[in-house]
Amino acid sequence: MNMNIKLRNTLAEITGASIAMIWMWYNLTEASKMTIESISKVLAQGIGISIIAIIALTIVINIFSSVITGSYEKNIDDERDGLYELYALRLSSAIFGISIVTILVLLGWFNLTINIGLIAITLSGFIASIASLLLKIYLYN
Amino acid sequence: MAKKKIHIENSVRRLRFNNDEMTQQELADLVGISRQTVVAIEKYKYTPSLELAFKIALAFNKEIQEVFCISQ
Repeated sequence: MNMNIKLRNTLAEITGASIAMIWMWYNLTEASKMTIESISKVLAQGIGISIIAIIALTIVINIFSSVITGSYEKNIDDERDGLYELYALRLSSAIFGISIVTILVLLGWFNLTINIGLIAITLSGFIASIASLLLKIYLYN
Repeated sequence: MAKKKIHIENSVRRLRFNNDEMTQQELADLVGISRQTVVAIEKYKYTPSLELAFKIALAFNKEIQEVFCISQ
């Protein structure tokens, strides 16, 4: 598969976000027994892990690609990238917005605990982000 | 006026070859876009903005209607 720099960076973002989500999932298996402070710490650490993982993966993947192809590809953002970015942003906003309303309804009327609500809000942000990145991959292909 | 989808075609590929076989990367550098966007324009998968269409026409020293046209 011929991958350009946009696809490589998008794949690095998806992988980084997925790693952070999996890490949070394993650290929140006992969420119902955990305090709100400890849950908040895990979620904040998870967000930090995703940022570091995305940066590290982007650098590693691009260095690896440059070594294999023997050439350096510049990352130029043009109007097409801006347009696709807007489509992706619209999708992620829609998913995150629907998730927030659903979680608030569940918290308000269906006895969802605040612990689970907090986790669900954070994970819905990650899911919205991954969905928008998958849309970008589809558009770039 | 009824909504009717129009299909815009272009002769970017032909013009590149008529200009000393200009590469996609050279055209991309001239107008300040990525090579992937040139590929998408040539395959009619992406219709550029009016500003970019003018820049491409200027790169070939042509009028915009000589580069982009509506297919019937």
